[in-house]
Amino acid sequence: MSTIVDFPVKAEARPYLEAFGRGSFLRDRQEPDWLAGYRKASLARFAELGFPSRRGEAWRYIDLRPLEKRPMLPVRTTDQAAISATVRDQLAEIGLAGPTCRFVLVDGRFAPELSTFERLPEGVWLGSTAAAIAERPDLIRSNLETPPPDPARAFTALNAALFADGFVLEIAPGVAFERPLEIVHLASGTVEASLHTRSLVVSGEDSRAAVIESFIGAGGYWRNDVVELRLAPSAELARAVLVEEAAAALHFGEMLATLGAASRLASFALLLGGRTVRHDITVRSEGEKSRCDLGGAFLLSGRQEANILTTVDHGAPGGETRENFKGVATERAHGAFQGRITVRPGAQKVDAHQLSRNLVLGPRAAIDTKPELEIYADDVKCSHGAAVGDLDEAALFYLRARGIPNGEARRMLIEAFVQEAAELVEPAPIREHLLSRIARRLASLEEQE
Amino acid sequence: MLEITNLHARLTDGREILRGIDLSVGAGEVHAIMGPNGSGKSTLAAVLAGRDGYEVCEGTVSYLCRDLLAMEPDERAREGLFLAFQYPVEIPGVNNMYFLRTAINAQRRHRGEPELDAGQFLRVVRAKLKQLDLGEDLLQRAVNVGFSGGEKKRNEIFQMAMLEPRLAILDETDSGLDIDALKIVARGVNQQRSPDRAIVLITHYQRLLNYVEPDRVHVLQGGRIVQSGDKSLALELERRGYGDIEAAA
Repeated sequence: MSTIVDFPVKAEARPYLEAFGRGSFLRDRQEPDWLAGYRKASLARFAELGFPSRRGEAWRYIDLRPLEKRPMLPVRTTDQAAISATVRDQLAEIGLAGPTCRFVLVDGRFAPELSTFERLPEGVWLGSTAAAIAERPDLIRSNLETPPPDPARAFTALNAALFADGFVLEIAPGVAFERPLEIVHLASGTVEASLHTRSLVVSGEDSRAAVIESFIGAGGYWRNDVVELRLAPSAELARAVLVEEAAAALHFGEMLATLGAASRLASFALLLGGRTVRHDITVRSEGEKSRCDLGGAFLLSGRQEANILTTVDHGAPGGETRENFKGVATERAHGAFQGRITVRPGAQKVDAHQLSRNLVLGPRAAIDTKPELEIYADDVKCSHGAAVGDLDEAALFYLRARGIPNGEARRMLIEAFVQEAAELVEPAPIREHLLSRIARRLASLEEQE
Repeated sequence: MLEITNLHARLTDGREILRGIDLSVGAGEVHAIMGPNGSGKSTLAAVLAGRDGYEVCEGTVSYLCRDLLAMEPDERAREGLFLAFQYPVEIPGVNNMYFLRTAINAQRRHRGEPELDAGQFLRVVRAKLKQLDLGEDLLQRAVNVGFSGGEKKRNEIFQMAMLEPRLAILDETDSGLDIDALKIVARGVNQQRSPDRAIVLITHYQRLLNYVEPDRVHVLQGGRIVQSGDKSLALELERRGYGDIEAAA
């Protein structure tokens, strides 16, 4: 592909087109023709869309100017030297304690030497996206070629064009994979670049699994991660996300889930680190009586910004949604929660509740919260609640009246506030890990004071 | 131990609630402060503990020969001042044991003593519970969350026993309690009596004083102490009501 193109191109998209065109992106990858075609079509869509505008609702809380000024092109090769002491330290820092089933990516590519997932039970397939393209086209091709629910998402299109790797997990029907599966995304800090990862989880009928995905790194980079979850009827899947990216990093995470009848999805996101973190969830309830629990929290300081977006689309009757999100912003940080629940015509007896509670600590910190219900069925139970405030003065005084110093008392109250959101996370090892990361983040806030 | 001299305090909206309190409480003494609603009893407790929303416009409070009003609320507590709240605050998500251990260790650090680890702390807790004849049921719950009125007051008494204050101020700890809960509170107070500790009981009713015998009784009215006496004053109040005292003052 040459740099001469026959479709309209937005200025900010041009460097990415050139990177794609420059010699070898496709040739080096030696991918099948269907995938090359898919990438080209996705790139054309991105070129046409350009970067999302802040005037649109979906990106109004994220400052993309640094990215517009200085493009962050994709990492071109896997640098083995990058699997250095730095990434091993990152892994030791963020990894679950004890033996786990662990899949590690460094700079967006599978790192087998850091991964430990031998002896998977029968009916569980786990591999890199690159491996899946070669070995399991049955799993991945139809998935990639299904048009995305919202084709106007520019960075999803860019991800489709440029993704280097990711993971693919398939749980066969009836299989319960009880060990928590840990996916760790590291960034070596050796390149200032964009990391595009694309992953897929296919949960078979009546299957059960739990995944935690952790993101950590060094240096300045832009992570653009897209994960698709497909839950067959009666499947159960839990996905926790822990974002502790480097202080200068951008993290855009997107999760697209499709729920079959009577399936259950539990998703939790804990956003602690990164300059700009965006966590965008779309859930489509396509089968009757599906249930989805979405939870999460962000804890921000300095000039961090974080944005949680949820879109739950009930297209089938009897579905249940529970959302519980918490936010804490200190110093000059800015957080935002945007939650939309749609109930389509005919999706009767849907029961959906959304809650967004936030603490703004300091005159220069801010949190926006924006619930949105769109209901086109008449027999439904839907509600939402949102609150933004300061710590409870009466509780603070009570703690201080027992001798607990002001700073420690405040930390106790913030910790209790954030932890409440994580208390329902299953299974226990993932929950305990998240709770300990919250405590650690709060301790680091205290040190800064 | 506690010397209050000509204490005037007002709410931040400007209303003057305390209008010249003089009170001296010595180590080993139990004082009861009685008075009708709105006389300033709870304001006095709040000002001594350092709650926001009050402004001291005149007078001094000396505690263990230090200027109490210059200290932050948490420092007052670490220096041995304890306020049993009239309305203990519910704190969701903060475990009662964790809360209490943090408080004890803050105090120990302040005194230059080593902190208690979880095991040592638990041993102290068990001993105190036994002493007060309390169950362990409240310990694993969040601080005061979902506690009945009686449980909240028991929790206050338990905290007092754990923190072993030099000066304990109990703000209407007896109000709203049935007779069994009242006896538990009274037992807690009596056990805390010691030659180096002072206790101030703020109460509307004489009832608690049937179980805890005060050394001095004061009547607070219109923001001032209008009468002081020994325990017989409480009985007189019970018989004659506050109206009579008001007329006499």
